[in-house]
Amino acid sequence: MKQLKKKVLEVKDLNISFHTFAGEVQAIRGVDFELYEGETLAIVGESGSGKSVTSKSIMRLLPTNNSEVKSGEILFGDKDIVTASEKQMQKIRGKDISMIFQDPMTALNPTMTIGRQIMEPIIKHQKLGKQEARKRAIRLLELVGIPNPESRLKQYPHQFSGGMRQRVVIAIALACEPKILIADEPTTALDVTIQGQILDLMKDLQKQIETSIIFITHDLGVVANVADRVAVMYGGKIVEVGTVDEIFYNPQHPYTWGLISSMPSLDEKDDELYVIPGTPPDLLNPPKGDAFAPRNPYAMKIDSEQQPPMFKVSDTHYAATWLLHPDAPKIEPPQKIKDRMVEFEKGGN
Amino acid sequence: MAEREKLLEIKNLKQYFNQGTSNEVRAVDDISFDVYRGETLGIVGESGCGKSTTGRTIIGLYDATDGEVLYQGKDVHAKKSKAETKQLHQSMQMIFQDPYASLNPRMKVNEIIAEGIDIHGLATSKKDRMEMVYSLLETVGLNRDHANRYPHEFSGGQRQRIGIARALAVNPEFIIADEPISALDVSIQAQVVNLLKKLQKDKQLTYLFIAHDLSMVKYISDRIGVMYFGKMIELTTADDLYRNPMHPYTQSLLSAIPLPDPNYERTRKRKSYDPKQHNYGPDEEVKLREVAPGHFVHCSEKEFEEYQKSYKN
Repeated sequence: MKQLKKKVLEVKDLNISFHTFAGEVQAIRGVDFELYEGETLAIVGESGSGKSVTSKSIMRLLPTNNSEVKSGEILFGDKDIVTASEKQMQKIRGKDISMIFQDPMTALNPTMTIGRQIMEPIIKHQKLGKQEARKRAIRLLELVGIPNPESRLKQYPHQFSGGMRQRVVIAIALACEPKILIADEPTTALDVTIQGQILDLMKDLQKQIETSIIFITHDLGVVANVADRVAVMYGGKIVEVGTVDEIFYNPQHPYTWGLISSMPSLDEKDDELYVIPGTPPDLLNPPKGDAFAPRNPYAMKIDSEQQPPMFKVSDTHYAATWLLHPDAPKIEPPQKIKDRMVEFEKGGN
Repeated sequence: MAEREKLLEIKNLKQYFNQGTSNEVRAVDDISFDVYRGETLGIVGESGCGKSTTGRTIIGLYDATDGEVLYQGKDVHAKKSKAETKQLHQSMQMIFQDPYASLNPRMKVNEIIAEGIDIHGLATSKKDRMEMVYSLLETVGLNRDHANRYPHEFSGGQRQRIGIARALAVNPEFIIADEPISALDVSIQAQVVNLLKKLQKDKQLTYLFIAHDLSMVKYISDRIGVMYFGKMIELTTADDLYRNPMHPYTQSLLSAIPLPDPNYERTRKRKSYDPKQHNYGPDEEVKLREVAPGHFVHCSEKEFEEYQKSYKN
C-alpha cells in the first residue's frame, strides 16, 4: 500500500446550505476529509448526495446568490478557501487547483480556438509570452495524446470528438501543473473504450506531475480502477472512508453494501439485482437520526434518534454506522458482501 | 431452444444520411439479424456506431435507405394502409434514453400515458381510461396521485418509469429500449432494469435493448449483437459472447469494462483495436459468418477458418 504523505488539502466540518423558495436545503452537513500528496481520492454517492457541491466549494464555484457556507474550513496550505478573497481565489483557480468537468461538450468555449483556451491559464498564471505559451500548449496536447497538435491548436471545439475534447479539457486543467486536480465525473459522458484511455491518461499524468486528484463519480468500476482511497457520501455526509481495498472488500456501512450489491457482476444472471429501497433523504428537512435509516434494513432504534459518529475500523478506515458500536447486535451482511470479505481476509489485509 | 418464432427480421438494412453528397454517413451499413419472440436482444457499441439509428429505423422513425424490416412477416417500411400503420405502432413501442427530453413538459402524466390509449381507442369510457392510467402507474411502481402532475415534478428514475408506462399503455409485444438507463444513477439503474425484467416475464414482451454499459447488457440480454461503424460484427448468446469473443473489436470492448474489483483492475490489460489489423485483401469477401451454431462473426474466409479452430466449446 502507498505510504501516506503530506496533506495538501484539509476539509473540516464543512456545512453548506442553499436558500431556495421552498426553504433552506442543507446540501452538505458536516464533511471532513483530507487529501494527501500524490493520491487519488474518489468520492462516490448518488445524485444529490453532495459530492459535486463539495468539489465546487473547494474551487469556490458555488453560486454566490443562494448558497452559503454555514461553517467549516477548507485549508489549502495556510489559506482557508472559505474566507479567501475573490482576488486570492483567482490566483488559486487554474493554477494550484483546477477542475475537469463532466461534459466535454459544454466545458469548452465554442467561439474560441482550443489553442487560445489552453494558452489562457498559461499566460495568466505563469506570465509567459504568447510564443512560449503556444509552445507549451503544443507540448500539452502531445502529452494528452492529440495527434498533429500544431494544426489542432487552430481548430474549434466542434471539430473534435467527445473523447478528444475531454483530452483538451484535461490539457487545460493540467496547463499549470496544479497541486490538486478535481475531476467531476470526467468519463461519464464517454464510451467504455474511450473511458479506459482517459483513465490511463490521468494516471500517467499524475505520476509525471505528482498531482493529487479528487475523483468524483458514481461508477464503482471506475473507482476500483483509479482510486487509492474512497469516500462514500450519502445525504450530505461522508458515511464511510477507507482505502480502495477496504471499501471494496471490507465495507462496513449498509449504504456501501447496497451500492456494491446493486451493480451486476459479469457472472450474474437469474436473480434480481439488489435495489436499495426507498428514496434519498429530503435535505430541506434532514432527518434527526441517521439519514440512511429509513432505507436501511439493518436500522436500529437509535438510528432514528441520533446520528452515528465515525467509528474507527482501522487507521485508514472509518464508517458512520451504529452497527459498529460495541453494544450493537452482530448482523450478517448480504451474501455478495460476505463473499468479498472472505477475499479480504485471504489477502491478509 | 428449438424452433423459435421470429418476431422481427432485419434483412440487409441500410441507413445512409446525406446520401449522394460528399459527407455521406453510412450509419447502418447492410446489417441483418432476427429477433425471436420473448427474448431480449442487446445491441452494444460505442457512440456513433449506429446502434440507436438501427433502433430508430426499425420502428420507422427514419425511412430506411435500403433493405427490409419485417415485423411478423410484414414490411415496416412498405406502403401501408392507415389501419396497418396503426396496428404496427401498437405492437411496437420505444423507450428513449433521456427521461428529461422524451416527456412533453406541458402535458400532465395522465395525458402523456393516455395519448396512445386515445389514439388507438383502447378505452371504452373516460372512467375506463383513467383506470388504465392508474393501473399502468402502479405497474411501473408509481402511484395514482402522480397522474395529475407534470414531468418536472419527478426525478430521473421516476420519469423513466413514466416513459415505460407510456410504452406499455398500448399493450405492445415488442419494445425498443434505447439506452433506457444510461442517464440514471447506479442504484436507480438496478430498479429500472428489475422493472423491465419483471414486465417481460408478466407480459411476455420482446426487447431490443440498446446500451453501451456492457455489464448491464450482459445481465439483461439473452443474445447480444456488437456493432462497429454501422456493421454488426458479432452476434451470439450473452454467455457465449463473454466466454468466446471472436472479433478483435469485441475483445477490446470486453477488456475495457470497468469492474468494481480493485484487484482485477490492477492487473487488467486493455486490448486496443485498429480496423487496419485485419489486412483484408481487395477481393476478400467480408461478411457475417456463422462460426459456431448461433455465433455469428463479421470476418473473411481466412479469418473464418481461424475462428472456427480457436472456438472453445
